[in-house]
Amino acid sequence: MSDSGTDTFILLSVMGTTYALRSDQVQHMEMVEQVTRVPNAAPFVDGVVFSRGQVVPAVNLRARFGFERVPYDVRTRLVVVNSKGRQVGLIVDDGREFLRLPATAIAPPQESLAGLSSQYVEGIASLNGRLILVLNLENLLEFSAPLVAA
Amino acid sequence: MPTGDTFFDGFLDDYFAESEEHLTAAADALMRLDKSIGNASAERAAVDDLFRYFHTLKAISAMVELRPAEQLAHHLEHYLRAVREGECTLTTAGSDALIEGTRRLEHIINAHRAGSPLPSIEDVLARVENLVGTRGERPTKTSAPEDATETGRRWTCRFVPTRELLAGGIGVDLVRKRLGEIGTIVEAAPHVLPDATISFQFTLITADGVDVVERLSGIPVAVEAETPSGVEPEAAAVEPAATAGAPNAAISHVVRVDLARLDHLMQIVGDMVISRARLADSLSRVERHVPASEWRAVQENALASDRQLRMLREGIMRVRMVPVGEIFRRMPLVVRDLARENGKRVKLELRGQATEIDKYLIERMMDPVLHLVRNAVSHGIEPPDVRIAHGKTPEGTITLSAAAVGDMVTLEVADDGYGVNEEAVVNKARQAGLIVPPGPLDAAAVLGLLCSPGFSTKEETDRASGRGVGMAVVKAMVEGLSGTMALDTEPGHGTRFIIRLPVTLAITDALIGRVGEEAFAIPQGSVREVIEIAEADVRQLEENEIVPYRDGALPLVRLSRLFGIASTARTGRLHVFVLGHGSASMGIAVDRIVGQREIVVRTLADALVRVDGVSGATDLGDGRVVLILDPAVLARLTNQRARRVIPDAAAWGRLPA
Amino acid sequence: MHKILIVDDSPTIRKMVRASLQTIESAEFIEASTGLEAIEQLAVARVQLIVLDLNMPDMHGIDVLRFVRRNAHYRSLPIIVLTTRGDETSRQTAKNAGATTYLTKPFAPQTLAQAVRDLLDSAVEATPRA
Repeated sequence: MSDSGTDTFILLSVMGTTYALRSDQVQHMEMVEQVTRVPNAAPFVDGVVFSRGQVVPAVNLRARFGFERVPYDVRTRLVVVNSKGRQVGLIVDDGREFLRLPATAIAPPQESLAGLSSQYVEGIASLNGRLILVLNLENLLEFSAPLVAA
Repeated sequence: MPTGDTFFDGFLDDYFAESEEHLTAAADALMRLDKSIGNASAERAAVDDLFRYFHTLKAISAMVELRPAEQLAHHLEHYLRAVREGECTLTTAGSDALIEGTRRLEHIINAHRAGSPLPSIEDVLARVENLVGTRGERPTKTSAPEDATETGRRWTCRFVPTRELLAGGIGVDLVRKRLGEIGTIVEAAPHVLPDATISFQFTLITADGVDVVERLSGIPVAVEAETPSGVEPEAAAVEPAATAGAPNAAISHVVRVDLARLDHLMQIVGDMVISRARLADSLSRVERHVPASEWRAVQENALASDRQLRMLREGIMRVRMVPVGEIFRRMPLVVRDLARENGKRVKLELRGQATEIDKYLIERMMDPVLHLVRNAVSHGIEPPDVRIAHGKTPEGTITLSAAAVGDMVTLEVADDGYGVNEEAVVNKARQAGLIVPPGPLDAAAVLGLLCSPGFSTKEETDRASGRGVGMAVVKAMVEGLSGTMALDTEPGHGTRFIIRLPVTLAITDALIGRVGEEAFAIPQGSVREVIEIAEADVRQLEENEIVPYRDGALPLVRLSRLFGIASTARTGRLHVFVLGHGSASMGIAVDRIVGQREIVVRTLADALVRVDGVSGATDLGDGRVVLILDPAVLARLTNQRARRVIPDAAAWGRLPA
Repeated sequence: MHKILIVDDSPTIRKMVRASLQTIESAEFIEASTGLEAIEQLAVARVQLIVLDLNMPDMHGIDVLRFVRRNAHYRSLPIIVLTTRGDETSRQTAKNAGATTYLTKPFAPQTLAQAVRDLLDSAVEATPRA
């Protein structure tokens, strides 16, 4: 997977911002089909999906980041990720691109960057003027922590 | 050139939708390709898929006149064709070009959708063209299309399509899908029979022991097995000698079974149960047309079939069971090595190795148990001098035991070491920034802290278990299998971690009801009766609803209200599942009762979807998830409110209408 | 009524073909997304004309073509083959394999419609056997 300090990332897009996950954390990507609502679950949990033979919770990243939900469209994707034995689906506006980044290209997030919670962003990369936020998957999936920066 | 310029514009939405699918699948295939380095067949499969996607994208882009997309897709397809045919090898530069090409393709399509200027493709085209130009050395280990791993059996399957079959949903596509699930289709071709009918012939390779006929039950396919081919006689002779040890050793009474085959058997049995239920349904409807004397025979046969089905199901479940000793096997070595590393003296005792649990569970419990054992050696047992100072034997003991009690299996990892120091745990938790409940903690709370993500640093867990499997993951795994974990400890004396798991994957009978668009399942064992009531019969008693039931009243819970779903019940009628007995009865109202199903229970273990009243999820075979209700919790939720309701039957008459 | 079998693995293209042929009043459409399904439809329905894509996942259109032509019964069944621009070899192969006409994608709807009309006018019915 990685050679000489380069990792492969999957890019996701939420509200126009590009986020990245290491490809070894990503199980697979697919279109969003049926999501069964789980009543009284956390507001950012759209429900559960049946994906490749498993029942997987579906987290709406828009909602998780504090944005307003929008109806799914053709571009909406389900990205199934693996974190510490948990399999969770992330519903994103778009999630398809593929990128190789050397470790040196990723800088730790600055405290002063407004509106960002360093909890869920573990690094920032800039590629051809494009800003890519590398996600901290464990924190993203941590239920209790509110993510919107104070 | 006059084309369908405006005519096909009406299909742009279809074009965008279809290209989205192919681009998404291409991205997934690119990811697989990246991960498949070194795995020739996985790489080939990914390449084949990518080829298809680009070809289709080329065709549909051409139809909507999106020339740059058509051209780019064409070049990417062209490159992949060259790779497939061995004209060039797939290099990093190649896969980079594919990635960039896919990205550019997407940009073009998006730009077209947005009406913005299209990006150029010259640079990518040049990159791809360069790649095809370079003749890499012919891959020496060219994986021949079917990697000649033809161990297993060859079957010839013939299917003749008819109008009636198609009307019933059985066509060549279904046959092909089914066969693909059973084995590998190496050939599929149409034939014309002497009487001019058309038939389809499939050549299928399956693993040994697969009964194709059985697995195609319900589909009219003529199956012929070919005699096992091409195994060199020498190879055949070597095998038994190796396993038997002595030339005249008795043939083993043990058969190795592939887990997937057992799963399939379970599925068939599940289907049989459903068919049986439908049969029972039909029988009850024809009962009145059948003379009593005849009916008795029918009943007896039906009951016998029920009984046999139950036995069959239990029998198959038992086949999946494996002695837990499989997990225990590697422990003595692990303990010995780790003890030596840590300068400790540890004795390992194993108990109950013959206890059987489902193979699926064994596979998943391997790592968690390993982690607990390593933890015990690293942190549980004191060094010899410390032990002596405390009046203990210099050698510590770790006991690994398994026992089956009814439906559950208990796995225990116990040590006679330090024990868990509550204060130390609390301090560490606070240091790690975790929230600690005030006051003295019980064992469950301490366990909760130990298992909180973030309690141990990654370095610590790595050192302890070498694999980064922390206590949090152990807990997640256990709960994901519908199990529980408990801690029993005495400071200074020792610690016990107790894991309880259900013996088999839960398959249970459930009743399905619908509320609005959503379906819910209730375990059949909890349902005493199913009734239909009139909306008009519902009485309001403070903030509760009750209905007359038998000689008393039944507290009613409307699922639509509890879960905030819009009800679409036909006005005036409610369908109610009656749960519980006596004063603990309650009714759960749904819009419609769908029927009874046998379901495979999957836990909703992830904290994100753990809600009160829902105990798990299942799927009814159509790919949609259905939530399983937890009657006990629902009862508690309602009883909390209904505590003050219905003193007794007599009171019923005095309630306001 | 003329039963026209549309064979293509892309649902978008099947729709487009259908739409292109809307003007043919006597037309009734059946669709198939794979080569095997196409042959299956041929076996169970009275098909008068086939619009056939070449590149399909299971059985290549050329093989479908060859199979169909081998059967005396379907030898004169009108078949329009759709090839993609830039695939010159398939055009020739299609012709040799027995395509009645071939069109390149992208095609103009009128072009396809006219081709179909011409063929139907001189059509020979194919009777199913199943």
